[in-house]
Formats: sequence, structure tokens, C-alpha cells
Amino acid sequence: MADRYNPQVIDHLVRPRNVGELENASGTGESGDASCGDVARFTVRIQDNRLEEVRYKVYGCAACIAAGSALSELAGGGSLLDAARVSKSDLEEALGGPLPSGKEHALTLVLDALHKAIEDHWNKQAGEMLVEGYGGLRMGASGEKTVVVATSGGVDSAVTALLMKEAGYDVACVTFRLHDGERGSRSCCSPDTVLFARDTAHRMGLPHFTLNLKELFDRRVMKDFVGSYAEGNTPNPCVSCNAHVKFHAASFLADKLGFEHVATGHYARVVEGPDGAGATMARPVDETKDQTYVLWPVPKELLARTVFPLGDYRKEEVRRIAEDRGLAVAYTPESQDICFIPDGNYRGFVRKKVAAEPGEIVDRGGRAVGRHKGVVDFTVGQRRGIGIAAPTPLYVTEVRPKTGQIVVGKKADLETREVRVGGLNWFLSPETAGSVQIRYNGSPVACEIEHVDGGEVVARLTAPVFGVAPGQSAVFYDGEKVVGGGVVRRNT
Amino acid sequence: MTDGSVYLDHAATTPLDRRVLEAMLPYLQGALAGGNPSSLHGPGAAAREAVEEARASVAGLIGASPQEIVFTSGGTEADNLAVLGLAAADPGKKHVAVSAVEHAAVRGAVEHLESRGYEVTRLGVDTDGRVSPEDLADALRPDTALVAVMWANNEVGTVQRVAELAGRCRERGVPFHADAVQAAGRLPVDVSRVPVSTLAISSHKLYGPQGVGALYVRGGVKLAPILFGGGQEGGFRSGTENVAGLVGFGAAARHAMEEMDDRIRHEEGLRETLASGALRLPGVRLNGHRNERLSNNVHLSVDGVEAESLVLFLDAMGYAVGSGSACASSTAGHKASPVLLAMGRGEDEAFNAVRISVGKDTTREEVEGFLGAFSTAVSRLRELSPLYIH
Repeated sequence: MADRYNPQVIDHLVRPRNVGELENASGTGESGDASCGDVARFTVRIQDNRLEEVRYKVYGCAACIAAGSALSELAGGGSLLDAARVSKSDLEEALGGPLPSGKEHALTLVLDALHKAIEDHWNKQAGEMLVEGYGGLRMGASGEKTVVVATSGGVDSAVTALLMKEAGYDVACVTFRLHDGERGSRSCCSPDTVLFARDTAHRMGLPHFTLNLKELFDRRVMKDFVGSYAEGNTPNPCVSCNAHVKFHAASFLADKLGFEHVATGHYARVVEGPDGAGATMARPVDETKDQTYVLWPVPKELLARTVFPLGDYRKEEVRRIAEDRGLAVAYTPESQDICFIPDGNYRGFVRKKVAAEPGEIVDRGGRAVGRHKGVVDFTVGQRRGIGIAAPTPLYVTEVRPKTGQIVVGKKADLETREVRVGGLNWFLSPETAGSVQIRYNGSPVACEIEHVDGGEVVARLTAPVFGVAPGQSAVFYDGEKVVGGGVVRRNT
Repeated sequence: MTDGSVYLDHAATTPLDRRVLEAMLPYLQGALAGGNPSSLHGPGAAAREAVEEARASVAGLIGASPQEIVFTSGGTEADNLAVLGLAAADPGKKHVAVSAVEHAAVRGAVEHLESRGYEVTRLGVDTDGRVSPEDLADALRPDTALVAVMWANNEVGTVQRVAELAGRCRERGVPFHADAVQAAGRLPVDVSRVPVSTLAISSHKLYGPQGVGALYVRGGVKLAPILFGGGQEGGFRSGTENVAGLVGFGAAARHAMEEMDDRIRHEEGLRETLASGALRLPGVRLNGHRNERLSNNVHLSVDGVEAESLVLFLDAMGYAVGSGSACASSTAGHKASPVLLAMGRGEDEAFNAVRISVGKDTTREEVEGFLGAFSTAVSRLRELSPLYIH
């Protein structure tokens, strides 16, 4: 490690290239913080997926100034994909070799500012909600091997990108900014999942983009999550995200770049349905990682362009591929925690967002048996935290937000053989549904479907299930194939 | 200094005075070279004589007796010997008070004591960087092992009211250490009039060689050594003496004493030219006390320009100046100056400071040339800066 600057750095410091700010910029991006000692600002003009012009300003050490100058030369005047591919090692090479020890952050800083400017360009095109309801352009039949891969810095999405690249695709990676709970997203001095995902893409020689979906995610996922709890339901935010955010956003970027496909690191498969039914979804090879239960709401027209390469692999194989190819990826714990509630305390999160009012606990006959501190603390099937002594264990059998009541009963009272399901999304004809799954790690139960009013269905189960909570997903299968899915409604 | 650039970083180190080099040479090669002052033979005796002559010169510079001078490897060792040695000499006392603007040598030694269970009071400073004697008096406790406040600050150049601070400590019987590394040779430092217990000085800040320094230890002050071995320097500092270096230190101290008034007059004139010229630019402020400051120090905050880039830009234009504190900027990467933070400046401002320090041989032409380069560098970097509004 050098401890002095290379002459190239001093040359860029004294004769910086592309200094300034563009008027009529298509995007502006800033990274860093004056209290950390450096700030970089990039403005870009993008036209027809070319980064026509770049201007930059930097407050900071000589390394930051020189790195900004070198980046403006490497990224400007070429294709947007090539600009998004410029890596820290490309910058280092342009600066004559490694920077002095402790100065490497300069490379991260200027790259981040450029990438935020490109991100701003997408937002300027599509507004704050960016991709709400985005259905995709009409697909050409070009069969081009091009794909946008949604990456998070974790092993699954990194291997997804790598497999697509090795299969001969032109790959562009994209990472979504979804909420401010991401590690380090407010600070320039701490690790950041976006920065890590970018590094991972660049180390594979792939272009990387970011999309800011915070507004959309807040409205369609987080507020929905909180509101659903307040209504006495048991929501699954991953389902909302797949229904409204992730696949729409990846498709949006693919269309902007003129790319054909989108891919994610989910464990599921896309297969051709029978008799020209088009694309449908199927369970993955690794049944222990099956994510079809949360993927049912992906709109069919978006699924048609989607690839899930990991559906053909077991998790151990994915880890081995990452190791064999020397992919350094973030340590991602195997957990089904909600991404915006990293401590797993859902109730605490909800309570911060809605006022919880105390109410009555009643038995199935309507007799008051106790008090509670708020309906948001309860979900159907719950046994703990009821706070009433009883000879046989008590379970929550119903949550009534309108009257503020919690209904409790015996385990047998939770038994049900009928589940009403609405908000449906079908890949195949509903009649082909042979079983329904109502929990993430649950087993499917054989069922028959009956259509009822309001475009909803009732699934009649051949065996009882316990503790079906409104708001949960119910996903219908025909063997390995996903027929469709929906949201459990109240039985009344 | 050797590459033809104009050297304006005398607070970091000073060029070796030609006369000092000539005094040293006989002890590096030729008849007087190679003697160990501890040896009994002729060469040993010659070396001993040279070391004692140097000791007398260094003592003379600060108004001390020669037997009160302990030679060390430099200012850092002298500060460490004082802080650790005073604490170890009175092991029952577990409290230390220091200013919040100490040089890293004192700060680091105090942090070491802290890690060993000592309680530390860090005395705040006013916006000029000065410790209040009342605050110091309030901080003293029956178990205070020592107090350390530097004579003059290495970054912003502010001179402390050392006589008053040391006086408060003497009244209470608490040892007082002063880091006078920047002060010695640049302003009168006289231990016969200022009741310090110990005082650190360094040769390379007054045109002597690097790697040589001294700790003044007032007669009667209890101090424990931190280096053990052959018992040189009265047992306070074991290790064979750096004879040629000490000879250089002695010569440098003698010249500093003889020429002090002329040097101060010369440097203060240049300092005022520099300060008034630089302050004519918008968004430039002088840090430290306006008058009670080192004769050679101009410390500036420059809005919208980060210090390192300014220093390197000026370097490329042929002017060598310091960013914040030279020690911190070369090793610790990118850190805001703790001195400016202690003076109440924001973190953003603490990255924007440069130190210009003239020397006895700096010329008026050099200073005027610098002011032109400074103006160019500042405006070029401000064109680049997203934080500076024109």
C-alpha cells in the first residue's frame, strides 16, 4: 500500500476534468457529508441510454477530487451501461494504482455520487412513485439474451446474476432503495447494502443501477402492513412487495434499457403452462427454500418475462457456486424477518405507527373475561400474551378491531374447514387447484374451490386446519405448479 | 526544502541550520567521532564533555541548571517521561488534569494512564484555545497526580497563561508539566520565573537535528524513569547518548538564545503580512489568539475547501504548508482537528484548516509569492467545491 499519492492523482487535483454543474441535467447525485470531511456531487445528461455529459464537484481530500475527475472521464460520453460498469479498480487504474492507505473511500464516494445522479434520472422520468402499476411495454419477440437482475448484495442474488452472465446474457444489476432501515443508509461512514451490492456487481464486471422506491414501498407495503394489523389482520409485507414493487421496478428498468428479461434470486421456477396457458410458476428444486408462497401476486404479464435461475438449484449448490467463483458476498442470515423491521419486533413497530387502545377480552359466548392493551398486539391463533389463567390453554380465535374486542377460545375453536380467499391472482384455471397452502412453511391441504360473490372463492378443505388468520396468503397448487393465490378474508 | 519549494511548515520541523551541521560533523566523522560518554578512555571523555556542553546550552535557553536537563529522543519521549514518570512517582494518586488541546504525545500518554484506571479531567478552552486558570484550580483534587498544559499550541499557535496555570498548581502542591516544544526558541521560556515542574523541548523545532529532545525536571521533583538500562541521564533515561545529535541540539539552543529577539521580530513581521493578506480573501478566518500566539504561526480556516487538497495543491505550486497538525494528517488518515473541535468549531470547519509557519530564513518575497499562490489555489478549489457558494 502506497502512502503517497501517485503523480496521476496530483495531475487530476491540479487540472481537474469536467468540473462544474450541468444546467438542464437529467440527474443530480450527492454523496458524503461535510461533517465527515468530503462531499461529491455529480450532474449528468443522459439521452438514449448514453451518458452524454458529466460534471462534478468535490469538497474533500486530493484523492476524492482526483477520483471524481477520473470518473468523469471514464463514465462520460459513452453508453449508460458502460458508465454503470465503471468499478473501483477501473478508477484505481486510471489514478496510476492503489491510493494511499485510508484513502480508498474516495473511490466509493465518487461512484456513489455518480450512481445517485443516474438514479435521480430514473426518478425524474417516472416521478416519486416511480413504477406504481407499471405493467411493462409490449414485449418484442426478439429473443435477445438480455436481463435485469435484482440484487441485494446477498449470496442468492449475486449467484443469480453470475448464472445469467455465464448463460450468455447481457446482465444489468439493480438494487432498490426501499426504506431507511437499511444498514448505514443515512450515513456515509458505515457499511451500506447498496454499496455492497454495487461492489459485488462491479467485481463480476456487471453494470449496476439503483432505483429509489422508498415512497412506493412506504405506501404500498409499510402503510399496508400497519393498517392491516390495525384492522385485526395478519399481513405479509413480502407478498405486498412482490405484488406492487419489486417485479414492476425490475421490468421498468429492463424496458428503459431495452432489455428483455428480469431475474431475481427467489427459489421458484417459471414453467410453461398447459395448452398455451402461458407462463406459470412452480415450486423449486430445493423444497426447503420454496418461496412460491410469497410470489403468487406477481402479475402474469410480468412473470412471463421473469427468470428464477435458482429454482433449479439447492441452496448448498448456490453457496458452492459463490465460493468456487470467488464471489465475496454479504453475510445474509437465513431468516424470514421483515426487511424493514430488522429486530423482528413487529408489534413494537406497529405500535409506533398507530395508537393502541385498550379493550375487552371476551369468550365465544360474548362474556367479558379480561382486558387487553390494544388489538394490534393480537393475531388469530396466538396463545401467548393473553394474560388470563384458564384450565385449558386459551387461544385468540378472532380479532374485532371495530369493537376493540379480542375473542378467545380453546384450540378446537380454531379449527376450520372453509377458507374464504379474495384479491386473487391466477396463473392457471382455478379449477385445476388441488390443494391450498396457508402458511409460509405449511403443508398444502387438499381442497375444492367454490366461486362466490365478489370474484372471491371459498376453499373447502378435506382436513381441518388451525388458526387461519385474515390477511394471510392462501396459495393454490396443482402438484408442483402454482395455480394462483389470494388473501384470506373474514369468514363472516 | 531540498526540492526547491518554498518551505512554510516550520511548525512541523525546521531545516537544519548550517552552523549546527558544522558543529555536529566532527562528532560524526573524524577525530571526535565514535566516543561513548560512559567510557573511561579519551574518546569517551571527549564525548562526555561535548554532551555536558550541550546540556549547559540547552539549560541556558530556558533558564535552568544543567543538572535539571534530561536528554531524550525528542519531544514525544520527553512528554511521555513527564506524564508517565510523574504519575508513577506518586502511585497513590490516580487523577490527572490536562487541557483539551494537548499535542498527541501528551494526549496519548494520558490516554494510556486512563486505560490503566486513572481518572482524567480534560480542561476545556475558550474560542481562542486558552485554558482558564480558574477552571484549572477547580479541577485540582487531593489525588491529582499531575497537570499538563502546553506552553503554545502546535496547531493554532495560541500561547497559554503558563505562569498563572503553573502557579495555581504550585499553591496546591500538584506537579505541572508544560509541553514547550513549539514555544522554546520562539518566545522567552524561563523556568526560573515560571513554576513548572517539568517541561518538554525538542531540537528539530529550533533548527537542530531531529531525534533529540529534552525534559527539564526541576530540582526536587519526583519523577520515575520509563526506560531502564545503563542508568544514563541521572537514571532518568537509560541508553547511550546521541552525541552528535546532542551537540547539534546544544548549538541550536545557543543560536536560538542569541538570536531570539531578531528572530521574533522577523517572524512576527512576516506573520502579520501573511495573516492580513490571507484574510483579505472572503471566507477565510484566523484561528487562535490574535496576539498571544507564536511568532511564526498563521492558522487559517478556509470555507468550502478541505485542508488536504489545499495543502497538496499548494505543494504542486511549490509551497509547503501544513494541514491541521502534521502528525495527525500523515498517519491517522482523515480526522477533524481535535484542537479546533475543542475551540468550539463544527466538524465541517475542523477539516478546513491550514497552518502556515514561517522561519528565521523565510523572506518577504517568499511570503508575497505564497499569498498569490494561496489565492489561486483557494479559488480553484472553490470552483470545485459543492459546499462553497460564490
